[in-house]
Parts: sequence; structure tokens; C-alpha cells
Amino acid sequence: MRCERCGKELTNRIIKINGITYCENCARLMGYDRFLRDPADLMSNPFSPLDQLATSLMQMSELDFGNSTLTCPKCGMTLREFENEGRVGCIECYNTFNDNIVREMFKQQGNSEYAGRIPAQSADTDAKTEDVPQIKKIAKPNPDAAKAEAPKADAKESAPADAKKSSKDGLTLDQLMKADLGMLSDEELEKGIKVAADAEEYKLASRLRDELKGRKDGGNNG
Amino acid sequence: MAEWYVNEGKDNDVVLSTKACIVRNIKGYNFMPRLDDKECKSLLETIDGVIDKDEFMGGVASGFDKETTLRLTRLQILGREASMMADPDRKAFYYNDDASLSIGVGSGEHLTVKAMAQGHDISVYKKAEKVALDLESKLDVAFSETYGFLTSNIKLAGTGLKILYTVALPAISKTEGGIAALTQRVGQYEWQIYPFAERGEIADSGVYIIASVNTLGITEDEVLKRGEMLIADVIKAERACRDEIASNKKEQSADIYGRSYGTLRYAGMISRSEALQALGWLRLYHDYDDSGEIKLSWNTLDKLTMDILWEPGAPSRKSSQSAASQKFRANGIRKILKGDDLS
Repeated sequence: MRCERCGKELTNRIIKINGITYCENCARLMGYDRFLRDPADLMSNPFSPLDQLATSLMQMSELDFGNSTLTCPKCGMTLREFENEGRVGCIECYNTFNDNIVREMFKQQGNSEYAGRIPAQSADTDAKTEDVPQIKKIAKPNPDAAKAEAPKADAKESAPADAKKSSKDGLTLDQLMKADLGMLSDEELEKGIKVAADAEEYKLASRLRDELKGRKDGGNNG
Repeated sequence: MAEWYVNEGKDNDVVLSTKACIVRNIKGYNFMPRLDDKECKSLLETIDGVIDKDEFMGGVASGFDKETTLRLTRLQILGREASMMADPDRKAFYYNDDASLSIGVGSGEHLTVKAMAQGHDISVYKKAEKVALDLESKLDVAFSETYGFLTSNIKLAGTGLKILYTVALPAISKTEGGIAALTQRVGQYEWQIYPFAERGEIADSGVYIIASVNTLGITEDEVLKRGEMLIADVIKAERACRDEIASNKKEQSADIYGRSYGTLRYAGMISRSEALQALGWLRLYHDYDDSGEIKLSWNTLDKLTMDILWEPGAPSRKSSQSAASQKFRANGIRKILKGDDLS
């Protein structure tokens, strides 16, 4: 069973008021605290139940038990209709159902603060369609060539600045791309996976991962 | 009329189209669910009075003939169920020469401005914004400093902006856990991804929509920039998966590629699902085919994919598996592929 207000799964306490089932939290937020009191609290003060009953009876006429009957004075939309359909009928509904709308907005977007542009004023944006580089098709690897180009562990970085996403002790992205994976240590492979993933070179990252996995599984990819 | 989606778009091996939608409502009128017919007629007339007729054509939907309805559906201005459109008297559509820009009236909100481009092209936002700004300067739009632009659907209140990329991801779809990982990635950007599928249809086309979600707590600029970062990730991931499949299973991929082309090129009847699956394989292996026997441009692939996805002219939209529909579809595909063979 779920709370009819927030939709959360009901746990140990179910509060039914005016035919609507609430969770403890929502009942509290709706101001129905008195329905939540522990009976033990009442026992400690034998006179309080009578006081509360009298107070509650006096408040009854002021209470809006049927919040679901809240109706927009302009378009006639009820809160129940809004909650069922997720749509409002007019601008005035935003005032009428303000609390519920803000709650829905929070639920869906995690925010209810407006940050966009104002009418008839252009948004300040310089967003451009970014170039996404084409992937280089994989050529059949030439083991000899790869060995010739395999970087040495102490090799100085010679890659351009934008390709120098390197770990502290590991290889640069360029070095990893050119490396014969069989010649890299497990540690270099592990660091390399992170470097490649950070640079969004998923293809390289998966090659490094496969090489490492092959070794751990006892295979010999070298 | 030229068709916006036959233009050569950027990254169109992955991105079929980019769309920007901006919704607005007019003060003084109830929102659509609470707008009576008399008010609705007045709203349609008010909006018609401010539309720039030098740029836009169109009008009330009930005035469209069957051919126009089909064409506007194929051009993605009308919904795919346009032939069964409810209350066409309460809706109007205006569109420019190549149908890349449109203004819908009465479709959910009072105004829906839509700009579309083939491939990956975020300039659609500026195009949609230009039209929205013009309308905002001529009409008294519903706006509050607290909530921004007010809408009937409160999920759109705020900027009223949605950016949508339609993407073909055959390789990620065929990679185990690929879509799940992508869904997680998309969620990190607070966007959403969902398969392109009609109600009751199995989502096996490998085509997905990646759409912005937030309209509050975020500026238009942030939405666009986040979308650009996200789509770049998606394109890279799809290309990497294609590379992985095409190089690790080269023979099988080449075989299915050839078979898929043969099926599309010569089938006398073909189901929507079979056609989309075959197109997925053509897309996946397109850049890796070195036989040179199959000549197929990315544009043709995109056009075929969109034609089948939007397929307005099939004899029966309700039963797309009927013999007549399958025959109609196969004929259309053959005609396009034959043209590409000759070119």
C-alpha cells in the first residue's frame, strides 16, 4: 500500500483520514499530528484526552479534511483532478494548488526555482555543436611494429598537451595507445584503464581491461 | 517542399535528428484541458493573427487534406497518429518551407514551437528561440517570476524547453549491458533515454530518444551545454561499440550486413521490425564494409530509418503487420535503394 499523497510505500504506520491513506510524514505535514500521538503519551496525563478531544472538536469546523476537494475558482479544476492528470487548467491553478505544484516539481526535478530567460529576451548561450572525432578503424595489429613503438617505462612524455592525461606513475594516453599491451605490467594496465576512461577512450579502456582480465583468468595474451 | 531530414547532418551515422521544442501559453485563456470550444476558436484566431505568413504556411488541422496530413506526419510536424488526430478543429499547425520550423497550436499547450535538423545540430535551439521571441513580443504569454513560463503540464513549467536527440544505437543495443550503462550515464546528466516505439510495440528498433528533463533550476544555456556533452559521449560510445563488434566478429558482421541489404533491397513484403533490424546492421557495419559491392549513403540510411519509424503512408497504421502494410513498406524501401544503386 502506498501513501496517496507522496506515493511512498507505507511501512508500519498507516493513517487514514477522511478516506485518504497517508504515511506518517505526510500526515504530519498536513497538520494531522494529533492522530499520530502514541497512546502511552495520553496515559501519562489522564486529563489530556478530554482536553484534546474538546480542542479537536472545536477545530473540526476549521479543518480542511477534504483537501482533495480544493477547487480552482477560475477554471473549476479540483486538486484530485490535478493529482490524477498532472496538468492544471489555468494560470490561477498555480495559486490554488501552489503547495502541491511545488511538491510535484521537487519530486520531478529536484528544484522549483526558475533560472531561465524572461519573455521576449534571448537566452544568453554560446552552445555550439561540438565536433566528435571519428573513431579510427582498427587495423590488424602488427606485433613487430607495436613492439618497436612500445614505450619505455621511463620515457619522457612527448605527446601534445591535450593528450597528456597521465596518471602520476603510469603511462600517458598516447603511450597507452601505441603500447604493446603484452609488455605492460598489471599495475600499468590498471592505471591505464583509469586514464583511458577519464579521457573517454572507451575502446582503449576495454582493450586494457580485456588484457588484464585475460591475465587474471590465467590466460596468456602476451 | 524540400524535406529537412534529407539534408546532410553532422554525426548522422549515430544522430538521426536534433529537435528543440519550446512551449508557451497565452494569458486570458484557460489551458487546453479547460478551454471550451468557443474560447479555443478565439485562441486559434488570436494566434493566427500574429503568425508571420511570409515565413509560415498552414492553419487549422481540420482543413488539411489527406495528402498534407501524411506529408506533415512524415516530416514529423504532426504526431505519428495524425490520421486519427482527436479534435482537429481545436488544433492548428504552421510550418516553414522545408518544415524544419513549425508552430503547433492546441497540442497539449497553447503554443509549441519546434525546430528540427538532420543529424547532430544544436543550432536548432536558436532557430526555435527566434520564433518564440517573435511570438512572445506579440502575445501576452503566461509567465511568473517564480515558476517561469506557465504550462498546463507542470513538468514543462519553467523554461518550457525540451531538447531531443533521436539516435540510432544498433551496436550499444547489441552489446551486453550497453543500454543499461548508457541509461545510467544519461541519468548522470539529468536527462532521459527511452526507446522509439509506438504504444504496444516491441522496442527493438535500436533507435532511442535522448531528451532533456529539467525546466527549473537550470538555464537554457546549461541545458544545451549538458546536452552537447552527453550526445558527444553517446556518439563516441556507439562508435566504439561498432568498432568492437565489426573488428572482433568481422566475418559474421559482414555476412549479416550483406544479408540485411539483400532483404531490404529485394523483399516483396517486410515487417517494420525486420526492416529496422536490417537497417541497424547496415548502420553498424557501413563504415567497415571494404567489399565495395554495397553502395549506400548515410543519408539514404537515415531517410529509410525515419521513413519506417514515422511511416505515415502505410495502408493501415493500426495493423502494421498486415500483408498490405508489409508490401507497401517493402515497395518503398526497394524504390529508395534502387535509386541509391543507380546514383
